[in-house]
Amino acid sequence: MDFKELAIYANLFMTVFLVLMLYGYIIHLYRSEKRGEKDYEKYGKIALDDEIDSKPIEEDPSAENKKEE
Amino acid sequence: MQSNAALEYDYSVAKLFTYTTILFGILGMLIGTLIAAQMAFPELNYLLGEYGTFSRLRPLHTNIVIFGFTLSGVWATAYYVSQRVLKVSMAESKFLMALGKIHFWLYFFGALAAVITLGMGITQSKEYAVFEWPIDVVIVLIWVIWGLSLFGLIGIRREKSLYISMWYYIATFLGIAMLYLFNNMAIPTYFASGGYGSIFHSVSVYSGTNDALVQWWYGHNAVAFGFTVPIIAMIYYFLPKESGQAIYSYKLSLLSFWGLMFVYLWAGSHHLIWSTVPDWMQTMGSIFSVVLILPSWGSAINMLLTMKGEWNQLTENPLIKLMVLASTFYMLSTIEGPIQSIKSVNAIAHFTDWIPGHVHDGVLGWVVFMIMAALFHMAPRMFKKEIYSKKLIDMQFWLQTTAIVLYFTSMWIAGITQGMMWRAVDEYGNLMYSFIDTVAVLHPYYTIRAVAGVLYLLGFFMFAYNMILTMTAAKTIDTEPQFRSPMA
Amino acid sequence: MFHWLEKNPFFFAVGVFLVIAFAGLVEILPNFGEASRPVVGLKPYTVLELAGKEVYKKDNCIACHSQLIRPFKSETDRYGQYSLSGEYAYDRPFLWGSKRTGPDLHRIGNYRSTDWHENHMWDPKSVIPQSIMPAYKHQFSNIADIETAYAEAVTVKELFNTPYDVDGGVALGSWEDARAAALAEAKEIAADMKNQDVKDLVANDQIPEIVALIAYMNKLK
Repeated sequence: MDFKELAIYANLFMTVFLVLMLYGYIIHLYRSEKRGEKDYEKYGKIALDDEIDSKPIEEDPSAENKKEE
Repeated sequence: MQSNAALEYDYSVAKLFTYTTILFGILGMLIGTLIAAQMAFPELNYLLGEYGTFSRLRPLHTNIVIFGFTLSGVWATAYYVSQRVLKVSMAESKFLMALGKIHFWLYFFGALAAVITLGMGITQSKEYAVFEWPIDVVIVLIWVIWGLSLFGLIGIRREKSLYISMWYYIATFLGIAMLYLFNNMAIPTYFASGGYGSIFHSVSVYSGTNDALVQWWYGHNAVAFGFTVPIIAMIYYFLPKESGQAIYSYKLSLLSFWGLMFVYLWAGSHHLIWSTVPDWMQTMGSIFSVVLILPSWGSAINMLLTMKGEWNQLTENPLIKLMVLASTFYMLSTIEGPIQSIKSVNAIAHFTDWIPGHVHDGVLGWVVFMIMAALFHMAPRMFKKEIYSKKLIDMQFWLQTTAIVLYFTSMWIAGITQGMMWRAVDEYGNLMYSFIDTVAVLHPYYTIRAVAGVLYLLGFFMFAYNMILTMTAAKTIDTEPQFRSPMA
Repeated sequence: MFHWLEKNPFFFAVGVFLVIAFAGLVEILPNFGEASRPVVGLKPYTVLELAGKEVYKKDNCIACHSQLIRPFKSETDRYGQYSLSGEYAYDRPFLWGSKRTGPDLHRIGNYRSTDWHENHMWDPKSVIPQSIMPAYKHQFSNIADIETAYAEAVTVKELFNTPYDVDGGVALGSWEDARAAALAEAKEIAADMKNQDVKDLVANDQIPEIVALIAYMNKLK
């Protein structure tokens, strides 16, 4: 098998793989939100509520530790 | 730290970059307008002796608007947005403050050196990668400092999850770092030859077709990571914040981000269609350019849908108007690009004025509009003043929109006319036009384009004037506005 | 799945880097060796021609001129044989350009002569009345940097095995040899020119930029 033939197979494999990845990811995103495991849309609020003293959507645990010190 | 009432976001670095955005914007667009006029009226080539010809000034124009205006804008917003979405102030770390300041001053003096050497004709002659190796070294240093500063702030953040804008800023940092390093691999000849000739001169490690391939992998993607990715970072923050509407779909933004990252880099070889690079690479560039519509429009549609039910803001708030038009121009140029990448279209479009036309509907409509809107939004928060004049923004908006339309329509016609004339043959199969015929016919379009340049520049002066008066003469505000920016 | 990345900036950055680096590897690497091979009989540039290439870069001719003839009949009729990859093997950097405000120059040496270039660079409108190209009169008095061109030739000879000093090829030799050769070549070109300042400079062993540029233009075939 020379390089050109190899490249063709690699290309085919990659295309199929990427299409599956993409659709798998979309399904994963919407399904986990539907099941109530995750709420992605709450992260959109990070931009709106961005004062220095407003409560983070998700606290960074390492920052938490710093505060206690 | 938590109950420290005095703790505020520190915008001193963002302010510095705001000043250079305005400064380099004026300079870059001024030169741009001059060289546009030179194409219509060649006598204008002789204003500055050997330093004033179109060919010498063109890289000054491109580099000042890319690495001067746009990068300043990117950094002004990055230093502003990242503090806010990470909910941490730069004032909390002396180290990061110092780093930010060093970043700015090194950049400022580096940029001056770059402008001077370019004017002198010290160049690698690779488009958008023209700087010789000593300047490259400074640029790398600046980039590393920005990286430290960006990741340093991320390191002390309170908000655990990175907001969408941060992804795009990180991608800007990594993308440009990778592309710039590989494309600028060159050997300084002074050292390699044992001390002969100019110390500035270097020779590329790649030759011919390989050099072309690396260069356009860089050139195309420098556009990606300089003109697209960080501008998307801006709009993901400023449009929701200014309108008070959360982004329409976070999930869509995830998909568009990873899609854009993966697809964009493949499209570089569409600059080399019908050249001597292998056919499969040209085809690959062509296909991926078309695929690129998806993640590009994903972001743009996400923006437009964010305004769902709030379209009245479009008439009330000129900043929303600027940003909505910016994302519309983003859609236009991301559909135009793929069309030009189709092989048969490219055969006509390549080497013609349609290409600068395409570039400019992207940069004038999308990049500059977005940066201006971002700075207008930041000004009341940074300077604690109202925006000086709403009326001026409105006027500027219409002036510049007209300019963009004149610019790209004239260049579309010019490009297609020229492309068709180059290949036109008579009934016996002989070429119908000599080359100069195809130049002379473009004069009216070049004139229209020069007029468009003047109008746009005028609009930018109005922006600069408005910003400066906001800083110095506008009414002070006591509390920081939450969403809509106050303006008189 | 990917959401974890947004909370872990380090891995996020690694992820982004892998995704963006992938395309470059696939597109650039496989063809690298093949694309750097010269066509049979290709000679590297002489020192004077290299100095001319520097003038071409310095005055940024690529802003308006391409050096890439595409494989269409309309292009081969106008400019000659379409360009081959191997013809560019000694071009560092490549100078294909991206815009043709003026015509392609890849084979300009086939159909333009020294005196044509002299007239045209001094005043383009005297040759082509409708031309919008600026005049480059400063090239007639600015002195070309032969030493830097020599440094470049030495560098590419030693680091990239560009065939200087081989049988039937281009001689390079020491700096003194190279300078003498460049001067001799410049004198030949100046003999075909009529500008007295240029002739005087060359007679005084100095090479104006225009002479180097014409040497380079004549080499483009």
